[in-house]
This record gives sequence, C-alpha cells and structure tokens, in this order.
Amino acid sequence: MGRRVIQVRGLTKRYGDVLAVDDLSFDVEPGKVTGFLGPNGAGKSTTMRMMLGLDRPTSGTVLVNGRPFTALAEPLREVGALLDPGSVHAGRTGRSHLRVAARTNGVPERRIDEVVEQVGLGSAAGRRIRGYSLGMRQRLGIAAALLGDPRVLLFDEPMNGLDLDGIRWIRGLLRQLADQDRTVLVSSHLLSEMQQTADRLVVIGRGRLIADATTAEILGGLGRLQVRVRSSRSEELLARLRERGLTAERVDTHELRVEESTAEEVGEVANEGHLPLHHLSEAQQSLEHAYLALTGDDVEYHGRPAEPTPTRTEVAR
Amino acid sequence: MTAAPTARDRRDEARDLSTGQVFARACAAEWTRLWTVRATWWFLAAAAAVMVGIGATAGFEAAGSPDPPQGDPAWRISTITAMPAQFALLALTLLAVTSDYATGGIVPALQWTPRRTILFLARALVLTGTTAVAGALLGLASALAAHTTARPLLRLPWDDGVEVLGTVAFVVAAGALLAVGLGFLLRHTAGALVAVFLLMLLLPLLLPQFGYAWMDALADVLPGTGAAFLLLGEVPGMTTSSAVTVLLGWAGGVSLAGWLRLTRDDANR
Repeated sequence: MGRRVIQVRGLTKRYGDVLAVDDLSFDVEPGKVTGFLGPNGAGKSTTMRMMLGLDRPTSGTVLVNGRPFTALAEPLREVGALLDPGSVHAGRTGRSHLRVAARTNGVPERRIDEVVEQVGLGSAAGRRIRGYSLGMRQRLGIAAALLGDPRVLLFDEPMNGLDLDGIRWIRGLLRQLADQDRTVLVSSHLLSEMQQTADRLVVIGRGRLIADATTAEILGGLGRLQVRVRSSRSEELLARLRERGLTAERVDTHELRVEESTAEEVGEVANEGHLPLHHLSEAQQSLEHAYLALTGDDVEYHGRPAEPTPTRTEVAR
Repeated sequence: MTAAPTARDRRDEARDLSTGQVFARACAAEWTRLWTVRATWWFLAAAAAVMVGIGATAGFEAAGSPDPPQGDPAWRISTITAMPAQFALLALTLLAVTSDYATGGIVPALQWTPRRTILFLARALVLTGTTAVAGALLGLASALAAHTTARPLLRLPWDDGVEVLGTVAFVVAAGALLAVGLGFLLRHTAGALVAVFLLMLLLPLLLPQFGYAWMDALADVLPGTGAAFLLLGEVPGMTTSSAVTVLLGWAGGVSLAGWLRLTRDDANR
C-alpha cells in the first residue's frame, strides 16, 4: 500500500434533494497520475471543490497530507489546483493574477516568470485575461497551480479548450509531475485521454464510486478481446464459429466480428474447415466501452453528448 | 557548506507560519488585487472629480459673489463634497467584493487563502483603510481647491481641518465596512448597489417626506442619516454620538452578516 496523500472518506454532498456526491471514499497516491473519471454531472468537480474547502461536505472528510485543506497556512506550497479556468477577474492581466496569488503565499516574484515560461504563456502574461482564449486561461490556471511548487496537484478537466499541441503538452506535464513523485489527480470525461495519461483510475457516476483500480486492471477486467476476421468463405466460417459456441456476427460482406475469443482460436476454427483467411486481428475493448459498461446505469444525462463544461467568464462584472 | 533546504523542510517551516503573517500576506494580496483592476481607478477619479471640481467651483462662486463671505473656513466644502463623492468610494468598495462573485474570482481567492475569516478581515481592512484615506485626502484637496480659487476670502485653519477630515474619513470607512458586508452577504453587484443606495441615500431622504412620526424615527436609525448628520449637520434630533452609533451599528451588523455567509456557505453557489 502506498502513501495516501489525499484521503477521501465517506464524502457526501447534498443540494436539496440531489445527492451530488454519495458516500465517496478513495485515496490518491504520489508518483502516479490518477484519473478521476466520470460523465458530466457525476460529481467530479463537486468532489474537487470539497477537497479544496470551497464547498462544505454534507458529511465525510477529505484530508490532504493528513490535514483539511482549509487548515493550510500556505496552501499554494502544498496543493496546486486548477478548477474552472474562467473563474478569474478578466480585467486583470495574467501577471497581476499570478502576482496576487504569489502575495497570498509569500512566493517570490521571480517564480512568476518561471511559471509563465513553463506554461508557455510568454508575452500574453502582460495582457488582460479578457482577451485570452480558453486554452490560454487553462495555461494561466496551471501556472497558478504550479506557482508554489506544490507536491499535490489537482486539475479539473485541464484538456478542455486546448488544441492538439496543448493536449500533448499537458500529457507531458502530468507525466513529468508524477515522475517527480508528486501526487496528481486529473478529472476528465475524456475516456480516451485518460487511457493515455492515467496510471490509476477512480471512476464515479452519479456521485458514487464505480471503480478504483489501475488503468490496466480496469481495461483488463472489462476489456474483453474481440477478433476481426475476413474470409472469402465467411458464411461457412460464421457457421463453424457458432458451432463452437462463439458469439460472432457479420460486420461486412466478408468480415466477421467474434466476441471474447482470440486470434488463435479463430485461426484454428478456420484451419479445421480449410477456409482461407485474408485478415485476422485482435482488438482490445477500449476504455470507452469499459467505461460505458461500468457507468451504464449511472450516466446522469442520457443523450447529452460529452461536451466541455462552459466557463463562467462572460458574465457581467 | 550547508545543504539546501529540501521541499519537506520548507513545508514544515510553512506550517509554523503565525496567523499574523498569514494575515499580513492576505492584506498585501488584497492591496494588489485592488489596484490591478481599472474600476478602482475610475471610481477614485470620479470621487476626485466631484470633490475637487465642486470645491474649485464653490471657491470661484464665493469670489464672484456680490456679498462675498469673509474669513469663513474652507473646510465646510470638504464635508459638502464628501456627501456625493462617498458613493463613488462605496461603489469602489462594493465592486471589489462582488466582482469576485460575478467573475468567479472568489474560487482562486479561497484556494490561495482558505482561512475565510482571514480573507474577510484582510479585505475589509484594506478596503475601509484605503477608502478612508482617499476620503480624507480628497477632502483636503477639495478644501485646498476652494481656498485657492476663492483667495483670499476663505481661511484654512489647520486644527479645524484635522477634525473635518477625520469626520470624512470616519463616515467613508463606516460606509465602506457596510459595503463590504453587503457585498459578502448578497454576492451580487446590482443587488448590493441598490441596498447601499437605499440605506445611505434614498430611504433617509424619502422617509421623512411622508410626515409620519414612525417613518421619521425609522429614518433616524438608517446609516445614511448618520452620515448626513456628521457631514452636513442638518438632521433635527440627532447628536454626534447617536449618528456615530447608528453608523457603527450598521457597519458592524451588516459586516458580521457578510462574514457569517462567507464562512458558513459554499464558496459561490
């Protein structure tokens, strides 16, 4: 068992009749990227807000380094967090925003230049945030999170609004932070992204814990193999596969898909019937499918496509 | 050669930070927060334009009058111009609190200063202090403007000046504390602005117009009446101590309510 840097115990948040977070318990360990995965409305942001003492839990506790976040005198030096990147006063320049942050925690001014450089904000730091794209706001939020060189980092949907370059940069950054033995928790509804980035996954749906395991375990546990096979005599092959008790179906004129089987098995079946094969491959079920299997009943908003959460930037001020 | 401090040493050190140090840092951050938005400068410019502009005009008027006042103190102009100008300073204060809710800036603010009482006290201190000093300085500028343009009709006795500028500073500080409380309590710019104007200006003016004794009594316990008495002195039945009590009561009570909401409620929902 590794060190538990973040401990979530029986965390519950109720808004009126709605249970946004329901008796959630999990740990986050250092040295790896932990993905916090769930559909929109699953309670990821609410959980992170409670971790940061922004929202008061109805019951349960969150401890960071053994203490509640609200007890920290210099929170930026222990926990860096990026929540909604639109939650900034857009009339300030990026640098002024960071300067306020630095003042609160006694971080030296030169550190501002370092993080501005690190996140690639460059000369934009001198401009008003009003003119920033969502991607630039994400970078600014990440700069603020890194300002105090903290050992714990929480990122809520950091890929939102980033272009391909930005996403690759974030992936590298997350990996680098974890390799420095920092504790990294990243929420996302982008399953494919987490598959590439996270070592461990905490999956929630409707505020409840659905899975808490390594990414490989979650993929392996649910990632049933599929076999794709093409043959000019696919009709005969289909019959033989079904005789074997395998679930197979036609996906194209000459192409079949076989569930929960292996290339070896399908190859043998074809060989027994002296059937020519033009293609034979295995495909692992994507996390996407595994995730849908896990959260199948737990998608809060059925039929709503996964979209980036809108920012609250454009309100009157 | 000494070993460089490790990250762990630094964090352990951080835990020993006194509340006073955390508060001092929060105040420094609030100061930066205040001066890095344009609204602060605009409202300050508006207050300056009103106080110095009216001061200078009043001086010209006095100089050009067929029966010019002889030897009156110029300080009178400071309190008169402070009456309208205080609203620019109150709006400045209010916006410094509510813009954090309008923009969502309260989220990073509480991430950086999660001890909410410290954030509240730092913001209240910086805002009331800044506006009180600004009020006093503009009061001085206003009297100097009148003194200069009316030269040599108006006097500028310094011992009177200290008392007048102190009064302006007190009225502005009490109003600013009320505005801070309203901002944290209502979390909404328009709502809090309406509340400030009702309490500080409209209700104290309107209620006595209807001629009912109970409305007069109600108007007498509104903060705007206390401010008007201290600045203009034209409120029957009011004394300096009752005016001070009313102002402090409102400032204290409303800021207590704002503090309660900040410390008890979720950050911004």
